[in-house]
Formats: sequence, C-alpha cells, structure tokens
Amino acid sequence: MTDRITVEELAELMKKSAGVTVAPDRLREPKTGFDTLGVDSLGLLGIVGELENRYGTPMPPDAERSKTPREFLDLVNSALMTGA
Amino acid sequence: MSEPLQRRAVVTGIGVVAPNGASTETFWKSTKEGISVLDRVTREGCEHLPLRVAGQVRDFDPSAAIEERYLVQTDRFTHFAMAAADLALDDAGLGRTETDAAPFSVGVVTAAGSGGGEFGQRELQQLWGKGSRYVGPYQSIAWFYAASTGQISIRRGFKGPCSVVAADEAGGLDALAHAARAVRRGTDVIVAGATEAPIAPYSVVCQLGYEELSTVDDPARAYRPFTSAACGFVPAEGGAMMVVEAAEPARARGARVRAVLAGHAATFTGASRWAESREGLAQAVRGALEEADCAPEEIDVVFADALGVPEADRAEALAIVDALGPHGARVPVTAPKTGIGRGYCAAPLMDAAAAVLAMEHGLIPPTPNVFDVCHDLDLVTGRARTAEVRTALVLSRGLMGSNSALVLRHGVADVS
Repeated sequence: MTDRITVEELAELMKKSAGVTVAPDRLREPKTGFDTLGVDSLGLLGIVGELENRYGTPMPPDAERSKTPREFLDLVNSALMTGA
Repeated sequence: MSEPLQRRAVVTGIGVVAPNGASTETFWKSTKEGISVLDRVTREGCEHLPLRVAGQVRDFDPSAAIEERYLVQTDRFTHFAMAAADLALDDAGLGRTETDAAPFSVGVVTAAGSGGGEFGQRELQQLWGKGSRYVGPYQSIAWFYAASTGQISIRRGFKGPCSVVAADEAGGLDALAHAARAVRRGTDVIVAGATEAPIAPYSVVCQLGYEELSTVDDPARAYRPFTSAACGFVPAEGGAMMVVEAAEPARARGARVRAVLAGHAATFTGASRWAESREGLAQAVRGALEEADCAPEEIDVVFADALGVPEADRAEALAIVDALGPHGARVPVTAPKTGIGRGYCAAPLMDAAAAVLAMEHGLIPPTPNVFDVCHDLDLVTGRARTAEVRTALVLSRGLMGSNSALVLRHGVADVS
C-alpha cells in the first residue's frame, strides 16, 4: 500500500462504501462535488472510516466535511504525509 | 363519509413484489390460480434453523430494479419497497416529469414490523467481530423500520408529508388509512404500503420466540388456517405499495381509479390474547363500515387475517359474524396468504392488492392448502370463485395485539 491515497483508491472506496461508481479521472476535477456524484455525508463518513482502518491512523476531522473529492484527497494526503 | 367527495381517497396504482410474483401481474396470476409457493427455507444462514417453511421472494433481482447506491445503503425490505413503489407509480402514470412538477404534493407512508434485519445483522457482526470502527455509517438508517419511507422520498424527489406507521402487522392497513387521511387533508398523492424482509438469520431467530410460528416442515401442511390441522403461520417477505390520490385531482389528470379507500378502523386487544381479538376485530369492522357508510350486506368478500392458530381462527370467524350479522356466515371469505405466507405488515397490503384485483376481475381467489374448514365460514377453497365484487373487507391482526379493518370499493362503481 502506498502512503498516498490515489483517485483510483478513492473511486474504489466510493463504490464499496456508498455504492457510487465513478471514473477515477473525474475525481481530479476541482469542481466535481461529492453531492454531484451522489455521495452523501454518511457515504463520506464511511470512506473516512475505511481509510482510517486501512492506514491505521485518524484522518483530519475536516475530511468528512470536504465538498469535493479533490479537496478531500488534498486534505487526507497532506495529513498522511505529516504523520509519516 | 363526511369529507367532500372530491378529496375522497382513491387507489390509482398498485405495485406488488411477492413470493408468488415480482410484479402485480404475476402476483395476481398466481393468486387467482391458487398456486402455493410456500417452500423450504433456502436463505443463506437460515437452513439449520427450526423454521422450515417460508414464502421467499425468489425471482426478484434488486440490482435490476434499483440503483447501486441503494443496494449498498439500504436493506432488502427497502429494496422491495422501492421496486414496489416504482411499479405502483408506473401503474398510476406518475413519472418523474409529473412528480417533479409538484414535489410537495407527493408524500410517502409505509409500515414495517421489523425493519432491516439482514443489514443490521451484517453490521453488528462487524461490531462484535472486528470492532466499532468497522460498522458502516449506513447502519444508522438502513435497519430502521422508517428507512423505506425516507429512501423512497429521497430517490423519487418527493417533498410532501412523509410518515411511518408502527402498529404491528395491522399497521399495513393503518398505513393506507393514514394515506387516505393525508389526501383528505390536502396532499394530492401519497405512495403508501408495506414491505418486509424477515427471512434472514437474525430475523428468523427473533421470530422463533413466537408461539404462533409454524415450524412444520411440509410446505403443504405448514400453514392451514381455519382447519383442525391449523398449526401456526408461515412468514413471508415482499409486499406492496399503492398510489393513493384525492379522487378529483386524479380524475382531472386522467388517472384510472382502481379502488376507493372507503373506511378503516383499528383497535387493540393485547399480545397473543386471541380470544379477546374477537371483540377487537369486530369493533374494527364496525368502525370501518361506519366510516365507509356501508351496510354489512354490501360486503362481497372478506380477506381474512387467517393466523392459523385455532383460538385465533375461531375468534376471527366469530368476529366476522359478530360484525356482519347473518351475512357473515354467507359472505365469501378468502385467505390467499396461505399460498405465499404471512408477510407481517406487508400481508394486509398484499391482501388489499388482491382485493382490488378481485373487484376488477370479478374473481375471488382461493385459499391454497386449505380444504376442510372447521368454522362456520364460506371460505373459498380449491379454485377461484366468479362473483361480482364491488366492496371488499380486508382484516389484519398483529401478534402484539393490534386489529385493523379496511373497506375497499371498486373504482368503477365509484365513478358512476
């Protein structure tokens, strides 16, 4: 497992945790929001929980309030880098 | 009824996902033929349990009926509810275009007895097996018996009044009555009904404590109400949703009025106090007749609760005569649920759907697996019976003591 969460991994988590299938490349678009993709707050919470279990470290509290996948990835990856 | 006729509650759409058919058409075909689909329980994790026979919905593919996100986020009982709601809305001619034009005019009412047991079990196994961090957030809503109301309204974009009736099995009829009240108060459309998914390991174990549950292993003998061989009831999954509308707006948009929700009443007589249910059920019937302004002789068919417990069957047979008088011993009575099982809150919904179809087809479906009736009832057995059916009475009782009665009138008769 890499120490950075990729768009591919996030796409896989969105499918597993929230049942939303999306092409990974769409997650790089800065204006594509979780709401547009159909991931609600519980779905995002599930993704955060899954990442915390996988990486064995807490995610920043603001992670589950992210509006877009891009914002979310920036936030959690910078936290993982700091923690590393 | 005291309400103005234009706000009278009518049924314009029916959607059934039942053990004997995953569409309204297949449900009716199997029901009128008296086909029994009761069979050995084959659901994974249930095979070793003492419940041997149930009514499983076998030809329903949730992934073909609803979107992936709802498969992940909701339980099987909500999958049934969404699929049945789609069928009912299609039947009523209400697509996204129509409902999006007036989202506050469409609400949802459901009833459920046990909620999402299968989903809940999976998450609780995560909790005990791996720890709280492995419980998914959708557990917070998917197990809840209110989930189907919320998810149907979210999925279809409805913003009208939404509610959930928690009233035991008879709550299925109460949900229709609640929908009728909402319509009379001013909401044009209510999607109302009940679905259940109790054939899963945890849910089955919960039911094993019911002394009324049949654990007989022969599908032809496991559920035979009103006979001397009555040995309890067989559970079922699935259910039905209906589109309930105010009569005048429904007609104005050209909808087909399939039935009128003419009258309803509910009573409570205590858990498993079946002798007392006689008085409670009779009182519910009287209340429903009064609200429908219906004489006992106008009832053309009774869809019985048919619990399959001798004391309860006796109480129901007596209640029908108590409430309908001499007509109670003559009126055709049927219990098609002996061919599919008893779907808790969903049972009276499937009966109400069958009652509307019986009125439309002039055909009273039979009571599968039941032959020698030991009560003073004209129970329709063997084959369907041709009859002019303008008014139907649907009865339901819950294991926890609720009793409910609903009077339905044929839609065409109402139009004239």
